[in-house]
Amino acid sequence: MPVAIEVEGLVRRFGARTALAGVDLRVEAGAVHALLGPNGAGKTTLLRVLTGLVDPSEGAVRVLGTDERGRAARGRVGLVPAGDRSFYLRISGLENLVFFARLHGLRRRAAFARAREVLDEVGLAEAAERPVGGWSHGMQKRLSVARALLTSPPVLLVDEATHDLDPEGAERIRALIGGLASGGTAVLWATQRVDEIRGFASGVTFLDRGRVRFAGSVEGLMAQAASRRYVIRVRNGRPGPLVADQLATLLAERASVAPGAGSDGEHFRLEPADGIPLGSAIAALADGGIDVLACRQERSEIEEAFLALTGDRA
Amino acid sequence: MTAVLAEVAKLPAFVRRDVKVALSYRVAFASDVLGLAAQVVVFSFVAKLVDASRLPTYGGTQITYLEFVATGLVLNLMLGVLLYRVAGAIRQEQLQGTLESLMATPTATATVQIGSVASTLLMVPLRATLMMGAIAIVFGLNFDPGGILPAALVMAALVPFAWGLGLATGGAIVTFRRGSGVLGVGTALLGLASGAVFPLALLPSWLAAIAEWNPLAIAIEGVREALLGSAGWSEALADIALLLPLSCLTLAAGILLFRLALDRERRRGTLGMY
Repeated sequence: MPVAIEVEGLVRRFGARTALAGVDLRVEAGAVHALLGPNGAGKTTLLRVLTGLVDPSEGAVRVLGTDERGRAARGRVGLVPAGDRSFYLRISGLENLVFFARLHGLRRRAAFARAREVLDEVGLAEAAERPVGGWSHGMQKRLSVARALLTSPPVLLVDEATHDLDPEGAERIRALIGGLASGGTAVLWATQRVDEIRGFASGVTFLDRGRVRFAGSVEGLMAQAASRRYVIRVRNGRPGPLVADQLATLLAERASVAPGAGSDGEHFRLEPADGIPLGSAIAALADGGIDVLACRQERSEIEEAFLALTGDRA
Repeated sequence: MTAVLAEVAKLPAFVRRDVKVALSYRVAFASDVLGLAAQVVVFSFVAKLVDASRLPTYGGTQITYLEFVATGLVLNLMLGVLLYRVAGAIRQEQLQGTLESLMATPTATATVQIGSVASTLLMVPLRATLMMGAIAIVFGLNFDPGGILPAALVMAALVPFAWGLGLATGGAIVTFRRGSGVLGVGTALLGLASGAVFPLALLPSWLAAIAEWNPLAIAIEGVREALLGSAGWSEALADIALLLPLSCLTLAAGILLFRLALDRERRRGTLGMY
């Protein structure tokens, strides 16, 4: 697939503060690439540079093979901004989209037709004539996506699109964007929600304090810090409450154990020793008459990686 | 040329948006008219105290104080509304969070500047003319119907002045995030030296000499000559010839200052901040 976004050695300074310190990034057409990082990592600044709203201090930025940053370049990039205050709240969703469509050069009739199409695509056709001020958060976010789709841009930049949405709303947005990527659109998806990029993004660039800490596949990111901490739920086959010391005795050198949240005598934190498989530790407990009813990772691999890359600041 | 036409074709979209938004604020829409009506009623009582012989004559005719002040008030209001709306248009976009979305479209900065005030520039002079007509009918003022068109053109020649001044103030507002105080003082000073509610001859001579070059004062006198003195086209064209260079110079300076302010925001990456 051709490269749609290419960034090399991008530096952006705001006075004495360096928001981006030599960022490299490549996003191919048809891919969803996650731009992951904690608050203040530089994600929004990077998107603003790509949209032409902010000029780079140093470095090269090429979108669709050109480093042109004028008006024509802006027409090829769709932006879903982070906030939901990017519409005229007193007028309808349809009127808002028609206005932005006309700024993209569509004639009045074509603008109305396209606005209705994209409203339908994002499931807002019924609310189209109502003032946006009365819409829910999720609806305004979908309207934002609809606006970005007005000209079917080959590059789509999405900034924290789901951070304040309920799971259903977030999934709906991801499905919409995923569908666009399947159609060939290059998507750069900025987020701090580590859980949403697995199974959605094909590549990930991890930014922290303006620097790239990781660039590669989501699987590669997870491998950065494979989680070795588990929460187990157990039942004592013998009478009397369980304490961590009993489990520690059974596990011996195989794993360390500590009471879980609430210290309810049922949940414990288990961390196998280096080189010891989880199954071996669980088998030791079973041999000691302890039934292991459930076992899950304390944090996902991706969450572990996030924390490892930010030095646990996040 | 095609690019310019493409940009011009975007202007009706701004006008449509602003008309839709304005119609959603029906009370505010009517408040300007009611405010002016209240002022005229106040001055109709003040007029009873004023010795008309101390007022200048127009076309050799002695006018009433209400005739004198109504023209001044309407133009003063027109300038105030234009200044306020032009200066605040971009700031309004910034405050409501729409400025970055606007600037992210393939639209020239000049189009955003003009588009954001297009409806105001069209509607305010039109409303001023209609208000003047309504006042004349209600209070039985002796306006010359033949002077309406020359007066309207004199008012139109004032529009670039208000626009330029508004853009310069808008640039300051975008940069410093506050500007209503400056705007208030500026409007008051322009009003003081405009001859809107009293003849300029009453000012100290040095201030009267400066006020002669105040575009608002030139426009007000031009409108009075046309409507009250039946001065005709030659006087109106002379006023327009004086007014237009001042207006265009102010507009050019306003565009430059506003552009510099926006470029600065873009460089600093603070365009969307408020």
